[in-house]
Amino acid sequence: MTKLTRRALLGTIGAAAAASALPAMPVFAADRSIRHYWWGNPERDKRTFAVIDTFQKKNAGIAVSGETIGWGDYWTKMATQTAGRNMADLVQMDYRFLFEYVNRGALKPLDEFAGKSLMIADFDKGPLDGGRVDGKLYALNIGSNSQVMVHNTRAFQEAGIDTDLINWTWDDFAKVCEKITAKSGGKMKGSDDLSLMIETFESWVRQNGREFYGPDGKVTATAGDVTGWWQMWADLRKAGVVRDKNKTVILDPPIAESGVAVGDTAMSHYWSNQLVGIQAVSKDKIGAAMVPHKAGGKPGQFIKPSMFLSLSRDAKDTEAAIAYMNAWVNDPEITGILGLERGIPCSPKIRAALAPKLTEVEKLSVDYFTAIQSKVGPLPLPAPKGAGEVRDAFMRIGTDVVLGKVEVAKAAGTFIEDAQAIVERAQ
Amino acid sequence: MKRFFARNAPAYVFLLPWLIGFFLLALGPILASLYLSFTRYDMVSAPRWIGWGNYEYMFTRDRRFWKALEVTFTYVALAVPARLIMALGVAMLLDKGLRTIGLYRAIFYLPSLLGASIAIAILWRQLFAADGVVNQVLAMVGIQGASWITDPDTSLYTLVVLAMWQFGSPMLIFLAGLRGIPRDLYEAAEIDGTPGWRQFTRITLPLLAPVIFFNLVLQTIEAFKTFSSAFIISNGTGAPSDSLLFYTVYLFNEAFKFFRMGYASALAWFLLVIIAAFTAIAFFTSKYWVHYENERD
Repeated sequence: MTKLTRRALLGTIGAAAAASALPAMPVFAADRSIRHYWWGNPERDKRTFAVIDTFQKKNAGIAVSGETIGWGDYWTKMATQTAGRNMADLVQMDYRFLFEYVNRGALKPLDEFAGKSLMIADFDKGPLDGGRVDGKLYALNIGSNSQVMVHNTRAFQEAGIDTDLINWTWDDFAKVCEKITAKSGGKMKGSDDLSLMIETFESWVRQNGREFYGPDGKVTATAGDVTGWWQMWADLRKAGVVRDKNKTVILDPPIAESGVAVGDTAMSHYWSNQLVGIQAVSKDKIGAAMVPHKAGGKPGQFIKPSMFLSLSRDAKDTEAAIAYMNAWVNDPEITGILGLERGIPCSPKIRAALAPKLTEVEKLSVDYFTAIQSKVGPLPLPAPKGAGEVRDAFMRIGTDVVLGKVEVAKAAGTFIEDAQAIVERAQ
Repeated sequence: MKRFFARNAPAYVFLLPWLIGFFLLALGPILASLYLSFTRYDMVSAPRWIGWGNYEYMFTRDRRFWKALEVTFTYVALAVPARLIMALGVAMLLDKGLRTIGLYRAIFYLPSLLGASIAIAILWRQLFAADGVVNQVLAMVGIQGASWITDPDTSLYTLVVLAMWQFGSPMLIFLAGLRGIPRDLYEAAEIDGTPGWRQFTRITLPLLAPVIFFNLVLQTIEAFKTFSSAFIISNGTGAPSDSLLFYTVYLFNEAFKFFRMGYASALAWFLLVIIAAFTAIAFFTSKYWVHYENERD
């Protein structure tokens, strides 16, 4: 071996330190082609690709390429593509993120197409208006949904549970958890632990008579709300009637790993449009229950536009994109393929066309939807900028609570402080 | 001057592709990020100059920034020595003059090639999960294993173990260094009856010092830049409870999740300062413990 000299060594280290990765080249799309990006699950992806096939057969000149990914990674990838000015032409949008993306200028309004190439005149007004920001339509509703406590009907039957699952309270919920755990000898716990689920917590805050975010976008939930929520789950954990804490702290797990799908628990929290997807991965027949109410409290749950299609700033062939968008909500063949998997459509005509062909689990979601109509509160104001980061903070601080590393009241105070600071900084 | 160019022109022509790449793809973005670190920039609206605002926020108000530093420094302090000791140990075993040394070298180098990949990070997560292979093996001998990845107290150590396992490249360098130590020194020591461990501390370590120094500097830089394994294992968020919030993961989140490009640039520049400081310390102290053979003459 040649002897090492100081100079040779310095040179090598310098070269190694200077080496850096090159950015990847963007892919250039051909003419008359559009990209559609959505968060999905196996069932949704199957249907969406079938829709794409059908659309391409009917519109020979337009090639549609679909990109799908789980919810957990969806927004990271979307943010990266937005930053790189490489967004798909059509992106699936969520109520929670809509306003952030509109404020960032990442979406194009749809008003100029309405009544011309986008036929939405006869759609339900409420759900449709959920896609408006400052009076302009930035997102087309492709289904409404609400929260749902998915439950394993076999386990409920075996434990002899006859609770009214639409009008039940949190006390009833705790009792059901106990019964199921006892009946199965601890093999199947009553429920997933929802400590980290900010969506359900927001309903809890509404049950206490407040919104999570006030009209000016400030955090109006209190440390008391958070303490109550985390304490309730801590008690259930202590009683051993909810899922193991090590499973709880895995963030945003795919549907197939939820307690009900795996068989660990008899209840999991989801959105009503996910019923089809959960049934597809569950052994037993599932049922739908409301998020439990607070005895004597206000309605917490609400019906929200579950998913939107939005036209991105980077869309080149808007004409083709709008044609595709229009087919999604009006073409009976396409809406037939989609069914209710993305939520309840807001076109009365399409709903009527779907009714006779519904499968058992689709019927479950329609019935559930009908049953909760009078039990839900109004749609809350859109979340302010920074809401996504607040969600992260809730899960991060909640993890410490679940693992018993910090006192509940102290963690609750920290979260409210952090949430206020995050929202303030994001403005 | 003229003669200089006449003589070197061909060299510059050959260097041209690299020079273009350097100025366009490296230096340009680097300078841009320095500028951006003094702005508030969300990638859509134009950057707004805020002076030292980002740096001020970083040092005075951002708790997660300090947490990220803590996690990263802990990792560097544990992973770098662990990997170097592992590398040196295996290199010394292989230096014993095995006939199939080429094969072993390749086998031991393999994890380093795989280690950086996404697949290994995912595999790692499975191995150390609550019901993963590690705990199943422990259960066989009657030990109830922790939930390594989801427990904030242990999650970082799983990454240190992963780093240790990727000892291949420093091992190869150590091996080359060991080969360069003259055998007659050991023979002389053998005749004098010097025990093995003294041969190690008196001959091997001092003569290997330049190589150790080289590996130390490279591995430290590498460890500060750890990203993909932490990103995958923590689901991209630094979870559980920010125990895997590596500096680079935090930086990525600030940039690509929350669109704070200005702030993320400031974070990146501070990371550069840290790495530069550590490298400088290594160089300044090196004259006390690193000796180069050719300087003794």
